Amino acid sequence: MFRPRTALAGAAAVAVLFTAACAPSGPPAGESAVSDATLTIATTTDVVNYNPLIGNSRSDYWITNLMYPHLLSIQPDGSKGPELAEKWGYVNDTTGFYEIKPGLTWSDGQPLTAKDVAYTLNAVKKDKPAGTLYGQLANFDSATAVSDTRVEVKLSHPDASLIPEVGFWGNVVPQHVFEPAGSVAKFANDGSKGGWVSAGPYVLTSVQRGQSYTMKRVDNYPLVPGGKGKAAEVVYRVYPDVNTEILALKNGDVDVIANSLPPAQVKQLQSTPDIKVAEVPGLGYSHMTYNMTKPDLAKKDVRLALAHAVDYDAIRRVVLQGQAVSTGSSQLMPVLSAYYDKSVTEYEYNPDLSRQLLTQAGYKPDGNGNFPLSFRLIYSLQDPVTTQWATIVKDGAAKAGVTIQLQGIERNTYLAMTDKGDFDIYAGNFAIMDDPATNMSLAYLPGGAINYSYVDDPALNALIDKARVTFQQPDQIPIMRDAAKLVRDNVYDNIMYTQNLYVAYRSAWSGFAVKPSELLSIVNPVSVASATKAG
Amino acid sequence: MTMSEVVPETTTAESTVDETPRPARTTWRTFRREPLGISALVVLVLLVVMAIAAPLLAHYPTGYGDVVLAPPSGAHWFGTDSLGLDVYAEVVWGAQQSLLVAAASSLIAIVFGTLLAVVGAYFRRIDAVISVVVDLFLSLPILPLMIMVAALVGPSTMTIILVIAAFSWPEVTRVVRSQALSVVRLPYVDAARLMTSSPVWIITRHVIPAVSPLILVSVVITSSRAVLTAASLAFLGLGDPNAWSWGRILYEAQQAGAMSTAWWLPLFPSLAIFLLVLASTLLSTTYNDARNRKRSRV
Repeated sequence: MFRPRTALAGAAAVAVLFTAACAPSGPPAGESAVSDATLTIATTTDVVNYNPLIGNSRSDYWITNLMYPHLLSIQPDGSKGPELAEKWGYVNDTTGFYEIKPGLTWSDGQPLTAKDVAYTLNAVKKDKPAGTLYGQLANFDSATAVSDTRVEVKLSHPDASLIPEVGFWGNVVPQHVFEPAGSVAKFANDGSKGGWVSAGPYVLTSVQRGQSYTMKRVDNYPLVPGGKGKAAEVVYRVYPDVNTEILALKNGDVDVIANSLPPAQVKQLQSTPDIKVAEVPGLGYSHMTYNMTKPDLAKKDVRLALAHAVDYDAIRRVVLQGQAVSTGSSQLMPVLSAYYDKSVTEYEYNPDLSRQLLTQAGYKPDGNGNFPLSFRLIYSLQDPVTTQWATIVKDGAAKAGVTIQLQGIERNTYLAMTDKGDFDIYAGNFAIMDDPATNMSLAYLPGGAINYSYVDDPALNALIDKARVTFQQPDQIPIMRDAAKLVRDNVYDNIMYTQNLYVAYRSAWSGFAVKPSELLSIVNPVSVASATKAG
Repeated sequence: MTMSEVVPETTTAESTVDETPRPARTTWRTFRREPLGISALVVLVLLVVMAIAAPLLAHYPTGYGDVVLAPPSGAHWFGTDSLGLDVYAEVVWGAQQSLLVAAASSLIAIVFGTLLAVVGAYFRRIDAVISVVVDLFLSLPILPLMIMVAALVGPSTMTIILVIAAFSWPEVTRVVRSQALSVVRLPYVDAARLMTSSPVWIITRHVIPAVSPLILVSVVITSSRAVLTAASLAFLGLGDPNAWSWGRILYEAQQAGAMSTAWWLPLFPSLAIFLLVLASTLLSTTYNDARNRKRSRV
């Protein structure tokens, strides 16, 4: 899961566990020649923070990702693969480990060792930066570099998700740069003290705020064939509006649009000469939660009535242009193939059933057939897809006799209102929800960072707690399925779809390595470093 | 065009009091000889009729349609949007919301702005305070402030009306005050003071009627500006998401990334806004000239 600011995240392949090592999902073979080409990538926002441990916008993530490597990468089904780490797993229930590649260096010539990894994890635990990684460290105690390539992690409690999730979500930062700066929660890392230091394929060298971010190739990036990026330079150019981005791509001013395309533009761009469109598998979901601290929404029948008043098929077919799949109203999305439970089905769109449920709950309609129920639905104005389907939700509820007042809000205000529970219905999405046990503990346990329904069901709590300490995936799957069914049947959450995304690039470029989600898509470090320009 | 550009030396106090017994008729006679003014009036009337008769002209755009981003055709005169909804229906129903915001916000701004203007002109001791407040408001960066207020309070029709009104009245006050200042110094107002000690009577019976042509011009100009401002706020996503407006159509086109690929989406609501603002400006200019025939002949 990633959501700006609170991005905490799912975890993973709980299957892994006691030891795991996978073959790298490298870039396409061939095309290993380096070039003098410049890869220009469009983004809609400026970088807010250059510190990857507290970054909170898409641009932050994309640019810092090219400099600060992750220990693990992710596969389309949520399982983890090697990146900086070659091996990872658990020695016992409360001790995990990572073994990183030998011979790595930062761009200033300093070696990248297990000490950097241990420093990063310990510093995040100590300084509590408001980023994704800190959210993963609940059961983390300490990390120790036992050699130049091996880090051992002590856990305060058994946690089957911690090692893979921390490995995926955490960037490794250079100890020799971050430690002298003090708290990692406060270090801006804005390059003001001698520029940036990178262990990725590119290093940021020049910033023109509101205009562009220029990154030069680093000579030592062993994760791609040839040991360095193919393009000599990567420039992120800021276009505040997606319409302008599309025009810039068509005109050849940029080579790639990093943001996913609006669904209605995909077909049009697919048929545009010199433009290619790549499909990026979704690994997250869009959902609505009903605030159960509100007396009406505390009633299961009311939540069920609202869930049955949403035309899910229309949302996927019209708003998303068929670029989304139903999750069966379950957190266990079809992409999580090992966990997916076909027997759990989506809430049927049936406003008449909604009316029956409301009548059954004791509500009486007025002369116009409207029940005395009015709810305020909040969503972010920076989320165009949700903005569109919110009107369909409103219209569906109206057919069931329920009034929904739409409240689209600027993103930061939306996040603040969400954290305060200042809503009746919350609509939003998460980019990556890869580990069911972690996600459910965050979403449904009391005090969970994204428990927006404020649910506290002892039966559900027990299932989630049990799953967190179940290290073998075959044992964990039935527990997660029971939990997901409980959530679905009680409408503790209303998970609507997984969106498959599309990104566009100039056809002169090739060699991109697609990873799931908008965060990684074709702008993940290996993909950017592998991209080559014809001619 | 700013209001001060439209109204300078328009209806002088002398013209108000020294006119023939039927100045309105004279004005109308002059006005109707101006084709631009008449055309503007016709356009405005048509837009108002369209807003009022929206239920007869188109079904309220709701839900979704099966053909998204379809270009204009016999079935959809203005094409469809990214939800497959009929853009013609959105423009027709958007007129209602746009004109409502224009009328309500300009009404509030005019009432409040005029009240402060005439009170300030009549009671010179509080005029200085009012002038400072007006100058203060006029020096504020209005659009960012409106955006901030609308974002903090949350978008709704009432919010938009109040926000626009709150930042529109100072212009009205400044223009009306300058006219009222010359009116309160005229002999007939002095004569009125001998007849009564009630400032309310003098202001309502003598001062406000003398500045009423200016108020009328202000209403038109403030309304057209309100439409532009409301469209700007809606385009930024700060319009009422529960009602169609011209700005919302533009906003949704922008959000869908369809501005460059579906030309009909930005075109028709923009045309509606353009027509309304142009007609309002022409109407007020022509009316102004008709009131002040000397100026119109220059």
